[in-house]
Order: sequence, then structure tokens, then C-alpha cells
Amino acid sequence: MKYIDLYLQEIERRLPLRNREDILKEIRSTLMDMIDDQNPAPDQAPDEEMVKSVLKEFGSPRKVAQRYNKHNYLIGPNLFPTYLQVLKVVLIIASGFSVLGLVIAIVSQTSVDSSMFEAIGESIAGLFSSLFTAFGIVTLSFAGIERTSPEQWKVKIESEWQPEDLLKEKDRKRVKITEIAFEITFTLIFIVVINSFLDRIGIYFLSDGRWVSEPIFNENFLRYIPWITTNAVLGILLDLYLIRKGYWDAAATIGKVFINALSIALSFVILTGPDFITINASALQGLNFDATFTAAQLTRVVNIAVDGLLGLSIFGTVVDSIRRIYETFIKGNYAHIEISEE
Amino acid sequence: MIDNTIETQTQNLIQELRRGVIVLAVLSQLDQEQYGYSLMKRLEEQGMQIDQGTLYPLLRRLEEQNILESRWGMETSRPRRYYLLSSFGKEVLENMTVEWTRIRSTVDELLNLNKEK
Repeated sequence: MKYIDLYLQEIERRLPLRNREDILKEIRSTLMDMIDDQNPAPDQAPDEEMVKSVLKEFGSPRKVAQRYNKHNYLIGPNLFPTYLQVLKVVLIIASGFSVLGLVIAIVSQTSVDSSMFEAIGESIAGLFSSLFTAFGIVTLSFAGIERTSPEQWKVKIESEWQPEDLLKEKDRKRVKITEIAFEITFTLIFIVVINSFLDRIGIYFLSDGRWVSEPIFNENFLRYIPWITTNAVLGILLDLYLIRKGYWDAAATIGKVFINALSIALSFVILTGPDFITINASALQGLNFDATFTAAQLTRVVNIAVDGLLGLSIFGTVVDSIRRIYETFIKGNYAHIEISEE
Repeated sequence: MIDNTIETQTQNLIQELRRGVIVLAVLSQLDQEQYGYSLMKRLEEQGMQIDQGTLYPLLRRLEEQNILESRWGMETSRPRRYYLLSSFGKEVLENMTVEWTRIRSTVDELLNLNKEK
């Protein structure tokens, strides 16, 4: 009976915890029935060869146990498309941040020597390890969802489909997941940069064989940072909503117009506020060209140019808002249906 | 490479065909209590071969779906798990039988028609 015990042990460790004992008991009982059935002398103990042939007939422990396991998928077909989508977004964001790390590593080096290449090498290695980590976390999360979410929840997805939905689908402004992922990445990088590395945005020049930077944003800019950050975070929240929804609905349009209004107000405040860019005389000197103007003059010109850009962006944002409102609420009447559904 | 010989393709499709019919065959025998092995033998005797690896998990699944009831019987030399149609299962079997008859006659007819052509 040694073989039967070993056989059952092998099955046991592959069985789901639920009903494990019961299943094993049933298999044991069946094996004994089979042996009895094939034993020419029922009053004698079966010989080993016969036991082995019965086990062979019953099948490998792996195969037997597999039939009792419901979860043969890590991530099932219902979840798989969503999994791929999320994976794409997360990988793009993770690589965006690794590239940012690489750029910072290069920029923060004070001299061009072997330590710089070491830092770059480390950042590239970091890129791969962060991509693998991101991949691992997303995959594990989905495997978890696959195992914990109720069946009907997974099946529900397409149950209430109506042919009329095709008409709605036709009018929908679909979002491209990769575009949004890039947008989120750059917005996150932007947030990190203006909050933590503002002093690194500046003029770079070589001084005695070392890279030196002179920041260009002055203290007037600092008070805008919380507002710019808020605006950017709202943008990311909207992007996340769009990823979930898959298309621009009325709520997303309202959100976008609201964010636009905030950027317009913010741009206006910055435009009418004091100059926030200063170019120091030392930076101008460091750049080492024959300047026929002073640093103060250059500062003035740059600020006027930036104000001009801000004015253009206000105009552009207004146009964008009007276009969105028109497209969603006036041209496409499906938007009303969307609202009433929520 | 896909194994595209007549034998393999036939085997694959026959297996698919049998998969649905197996449930019907199993339920048909369970108006009386049976334990797994006896059920398998019984089906085999009547010409319905079922792989044991398929049969026992199937019995458990049908029990989870309340189509079968089960109990451990201690009357014999060793404990055996007996299965029996529940009253719910009886109704399911009745409905399936009606559908089976319909499908059979339709498909039979279709196949005969094809032969005449």
C-alpha cells in the first residue's frame, strides 16, 4: 500500500484546500475498488505490480488533481483585456519615471568623468528593475482579483448589451490608452520637477570644466506651484477616469472644461502678476558670448515672451473648451443619455 | 504545427461531442444511489466509456450545483461516497431528456438528408 499512500500525498499537495480530505478519501476508496476488481484472489493482499498498474490507469497525480482545480488561469479571459490595458499604462508610467531618473542622474553630475557613466549605468539597470517590479505588481493584483471576485461579477460585463448601443458607440470619442498613459507620465514628471527640482531648471554652462547651473525661476514663481500642482493632479484624475470609461462622456467633458477654466484663471493670474523669470548676470557671462545687452534687458524680453505664450495658451484653452462643449452637448445628443444613466 | 490528420481531428471533435453527453449519461444512472466506481462500471457495461479523471470531479461539480446529493456510506467493507439525483436534479434531467430527444431527431434527420444528396 506504500504506492497508494505516496500517490495520494502527491495528489494532496496539488488539490485545492476546500474538500481536500473528502476528495482524497473518495479517490482512495475508488482505488481500492479498482484493485479488488482486478485482484484474482480477493482474500489475498494485492501484489505491487497490480497496484502500480491501477495507479497508472488512474493517471498521474498532477493530472488527477488538475481536474479538481477550478483555477487553471492566472488571469482569466474575462479579466485579460483589462489586465493588458492596465499593464500598458503602468509600464509607460514606470518607464517615464525611470527616464526622468536617468535625466536627473546625468544633470546632477558635476563633472564629466567615469562616475557619470556609472550613474547612467545604474539608472538604466534601475529602468529594467522598475519595469519588472511594475509588471509583477500588476500581474499579482490581477491574479488576486481573478481569485477573489465573484463569478457573476466577471460574467456580467456584456450581459445587458443592446443593438442600440452601436449607435452610441459610433458617436463616442474613444480615448487612446497609450496617449493617456504618456500624458499621465509627463504630468507626473512635471509635478515632480516643479515641486522638487525647480532649481535645476536653468541655464547650464561650463565653468572651469564643470557644469554649473543658474536657476531661472525666481521666488515669485513659488506661490503658483501649489495651484499648478493642483491643476496637474486634477488632470491626472480625469485621465484615470477616461482610462476606466474608455471614451469622452459628458462627465469627462465637464471635468475637462472645469480644469480648463482653472488653467485659464491660473494663467491669467500669472500673466498679470510680477515677473517670475530672472536671468542672472553670471549666467549670461557663463554662456560666454558677446552680449550686446544686459542680463536685466534679457530678463525683461524673456518675461514678455513668456507672457505672450501664456496669452496664447489662454486663447487656446478657451477654444478647446468651446469645442468640447459643442462636440459633446450640441453635436452629439448621446451625452444626455450618458448623464441619465449614471 | 497543427496535427491535421483525419484521425486526430476526428478524435478532437468526438471528444467535444461527448463532453456534453457525458452529463446526461451520468445523470441517467443516478436515480439509484451509486458510488463513483460502480457508476463508471455500469456506464462502461452499457457502452459509455468515461475517463475516471473526468467522472469524479464532474460528480462533485454536479453536487455543488445541487443536482446531486451525496453521503458517505459505511455499510460495506470500506467507506464509499454515494451519489443520488436530488429532486431538483430530477427535474433538470427531465428537461435535458426532452431536449436530447429533440436534438437527436433533428440531427438524425439532418444527417439522413445529407446522405441522400
